Amino acid sequence: MLIGLLMLGGVAAGAFGSLLGLGGGLLIVPLLTFGFGLPLREAVGVSLICVIMTSSAAAGVYLERHVANLRLGMALELFTAIGALIGASIAFLLDERLLSLLFGGLLLYVAVTMARAREVEPTLISDDDESVDSSGLAPSTPVLTTLDRLSGPGYRVRNLGRGIVGSTGAGVVSALLGIGGGIIKVPVMHLSMGVPLRVATATSNMMIGITASASAIIYLIRGGIDPYVAGPTAIGVFLGATAGSRLAHRVNLRYLRILFVVVLVWTGIQMLLRALQVGS
Amino acid sequence: MTLPTRSRTVAAERLSGRLLIGFTYVAVALLALGIVAMVMAGISPLAGGPALDLETLFDGLEGLDPAALLWLGLLVVIAAPIGRVVVAGAAYAAEADWRMVTISAAILVIIVIGVVSALTVTV
Repeated sequence: MLIGLLMLGGVAAGAFGSLLGLGGGLLIVPLLTFGFGLPLREAVGVSLICVIMTSSAAAGVYLERHVANLRLGMALELFTAIGALIGASIAFLLDERLLSLLFGGLLLYVAVTMARAREVEPTLISDDDESVDSSGLAPSTPVLTTLDRLSGPGYRVRNLGRGIVGSTGAGVVSALLGIGGGIIKVPVMHLSMGVPLRVATATSNMMIGITASASAIIYLIRGGIDPYVAGPTAIGVFLGATAGSRLAHRVNLRYLRILFVVVLVWTGIQMLLRALQVGS
Repeated sequence: MTLPTRSRTVAAERLSGRLLIGFTYVAVALLALGIVAMVMAGISPLAGGPALDLETLFDGLEGLDPAALLWLGLLVVIAAPIGRVVVAGAAYAAEADWRMVTISAAILVIIVIGVVSALTVTV
């Protein structure tokens, strides 16, 4: 019975995250802490596993279709991994109430951002669409800078320094709170580094795997991952994310977004109350 | 010095993508088996699972122990992105793109530092 409920919760978190492009991490931690009474740090460990699972499945497809920029992603992964190492190391030193405070603040920030965002139609990616090929560089073109090497067709990467700072920060936040960190990486790559949104999203998705793996290993060694909880939840999230990506074009995202904002606000307030030890 | 050729980047991306997808399906299969074994053994997910013990893991797999199956599945999940970095690094090495090989190696070194620090530093 409890296994079924865990899987069902994972399906809901995975489907929600996939439909709204946020990943499941934001919902898994509150689900496990409020729904199943897990300590926050254990919930973060399980969430990291779920995040890797969904990232690997999606990034595999993105890489095969050459939508993600592997070179740029690997260059920035160096810094998300460093951030994850730092975050996972300090996560075990921080008071759970402080983690709740940070998580509550993050949920409310995302809720406000989503409430203010204009609806964007999802873009379908075609296998033979040359414009999304991140590797269409002419073999004989001379290299001038590192940025040229990291660029793709139709865009040139800029502000690598901001990308490095943003990636390191995303790694720290990911390891502390069990999220993928796409809410930091995608805007940094798209707005600061000049990477097209579609490529930024795919590349961020690919980077999430190594970021979460770097910290998940530390959680695992320090006893922060329970296999009996992680297994059913990860399978649920995988199924939910798979279903969500297939249903995306059939669902009215406007109402779903409103519902998601309400859920985020409620959960964020509960997290803040927990941090202040008010109520349950 | 030349720009990265289309063929070497495409090959690295394709190999990396296939590896991720393959690992994901193996992980899903192992976790699903583990869940079935949990249900058959009547184990509650909130019972508190055993810590990972690599020495007894394979013995547990032979006896279809739920925790062993789940742990192996979780290890495959964690290993997938790391394997992707190894495969991409190898693909770049085959094309003598040493800059990307260095980046791949540096990522792996950071992960090793994390493992060593988690094993040696007590909190």
